[in-house]
Amino acid sequence: MIHGLDANGFRGHAAEALKKEAQRAALCRATDTISARRAAAVAGVPDWEQLRERARAIKAEVLANLERYLDQFVQRAEEAGATVHRARDARAACAVVERLAREAGGGAIVKAKSMVSEEIGLNHALEAGGWQPLETDLGERIVQLAGQTPSHIIVPAIHMSRGEIADLFVRELAVERTDDPAELTAIARRLLREQFARASLGISGVNFAVAETGSILLIENEGNIRLTTSLPPVHVALMGIEKLVPRLADLEVFLRLLPRSGTGQHLTSYQSLLTGPPARDGQEGPRELHLVLLDNGRSSMLADARERETLSCIRCGACLNACPVYRQVGGHAYGSVYPGPIGAILTPQLAGDAAAGELPFASSLCGACRDVCPVKIDIPGLLLRLRARSAASAAAQAPAAEERRGFRAWAWAMERSWRYELAARVARTAAPVALGDDDLGRWLRARVPPLAAWLSGRELRPPAARSFREIWRAELSRGPADVHG
Amino acid sequence: MAETDPSSARRESLARFSAALAAVGGRVHLASDEDSAARAVTAIAAGVGAREVALSDAPLVHRLAARLPREVATFDGHSDRARLFACDLGLTTAQAAVAETGTLVLDSALERHRLVSLVPPVHVAVLPAGAILSDLGDALAGLGRGADLARAVTLITGPSRTADIELELVVGVHGPRALHVVVLEEPAP
Repeated sequence: MIHGLDANGFRGHAAEALKKEAQRAALCRATDTISARRAAAVAGVPDWEQLRERARAIKAEVLANLERYLDQFVQRAEEAGATVHRARDARAACAVVERLAREAGGGAIVKAKSMVSEEIGLNHALEAGGWQPLETDLGERIVQLAGQTPSHIIVPAIHMSRGEIADLFVRELAVERTDDPAELTAIARRLLREQFARASLGISGVNFAVAETGSILLIENEGNIRLTTSLPPVHVALMGIEKLVPRLADLEVFLRLLPRSGTGQHLTSYQSLLTGPPARDGQEGPRELHLVLLDNGRSSMLADARERETLSCIRCGACLNACPVYRQVGGHAYGSVYPGPIGAILTPQLAGDAAAGELPFASSLCGACRDVCPVKIDIPGLLLRLRARSAASAAAQAPAAEERRGFRAWAWAMERSWRYELAARVARTAAPVALGDDDLGRWLRARVPPLAAWLSGRELRPPAARSFREIWRAELSRGPADVHG
Repeated sequence: MAETDPSSARRESLARFSAALAAVGGRVHLASDEDSAARAVTAIAAGVGAREVALSDAPLVHRLAARLPREVATFDGHSDRARLFACDLGLTTAQAAVAETGTLVLDSALERHRLVSLVPPVHVAVLPAGAILSDLGDALAGLGRGADLARAVTLITGPSRTADIELELVVGVHGPRALHVVVLEEPAP
């Protein structure tokens, strides 16, 4: 179950999004900028392709043996003093965090960015219980103030202009209006610092979990994750079970790939490698560390070696920035916490075809996503598999009468060459009328539903005046001497 | 065949580290001994107008703090949270560094560094020159395992930053806006 899922309206949402000219322009500019930064960063790494292959292999090894690595991770984490909670679904995960919030007492709940927490609708659950979890990542805080959901995995407020953010701060924070990013950031910093100081519970996600040591790695630029995970006495870290890597040494590959792929940086400002609650061993930090391991449909994806590739994703966002569809319509059009190319495969795999079967069709299969994916997920291949799955379940129902008629007519025309030529001649005669840019043409096209849908996004060139067969019979079949003579 | 001169290898490592750190907006100061390290820290504090300096629990930090001018007040960063949130500068050491990326490695088993290196707007880290490793793989390999692995290892590469508003870079968000590394040549006792 994915919180707030509204994925079957993609076509409608996308059409709406395309009308917002200012947002389209901002999104195109932003994704182009990040893509350029990524390209520059990648160009400086001569063994980039080998790194991608190593990362793919590490993830494939983990996913092929996930239970074993999970058992090892849990054992090592518990030896280090962490409390591990295995949550089968969103409800179970929320219940764990709600209980910990109750036990933590009345201080503030501060939260660092976590896609998994959005997936399970954690903020919604906590607010229903009377708590006010405070997003501390700047982009997430902006989106939280606006009452929206993030539209990009890495840059949550990418769809908002500085003017919109300025107005938002005036409305929600009662501050003097400024649209300067540095000043807006300073305002957010000041207000959030006051909350950090009185926080009793810190909630974070996990970028990578290390089976060998029972450690978790968190990657950031702002410092809000460090504050969230070191100040409050209780730290809760949420992770999908697929976040594992086998060994500490494996982190090097991902530290080279993730920052470059996500933001074009060589390395982000901070990485925190956390192993158990520090206070238990007289070290600085929380006295309790809780790890919530979320399944929520992931283990059912493990059975198929190709389909489980989706779980290799390290949430870099590079596929979003490369996607010609995403950069025009933005993340909200997908109706899922996971938008863009990765969202188009992950969402239906987690939530099922009934809830998200339209998403695999939100693609032109150009393959740009596969080219930039640091762990080499074959996204177009998986999109096709999911489309086939969706079509197979649709075919189990009776196909539409028009579709049956259309295919019968097609089969009839193809069985004899004279029928094919007759059909071609009819099409050539009808073309100027059928393709005409006038009321009659539009009326005709609307009568043929598959054609109408096809033509709504494509141009159909008129057929040539003479078919190849006619040219062949009239001129070419007599041989070169006759043609040129 | 001549062996690699260890001091030239160290110089090269230091040069790589300094260049990488400068590229992300950090500043490197060289100090041949504790005296000149104390002078460097004093100069940095004066440069940012620091009046209150939070200290980690490292003995080297306390020795250097004792040499700061009287008008600069120093305190144990963990003793007073309100004072930590109001102070101007945090002083720690670093257990290791990575030349390739300009990264500092701080180990919670050896020093209480987490808040002192994070909360004040300026962070000064004193780094032994001999602790500079070549790349991230070396840093990960150098971490202990089992009970020897610190509960919190913090990798710091430059000041804190964000680009969440229209992708425009803003330096200094929740972590420090300035990072200074004082590289100490002489091995600490």
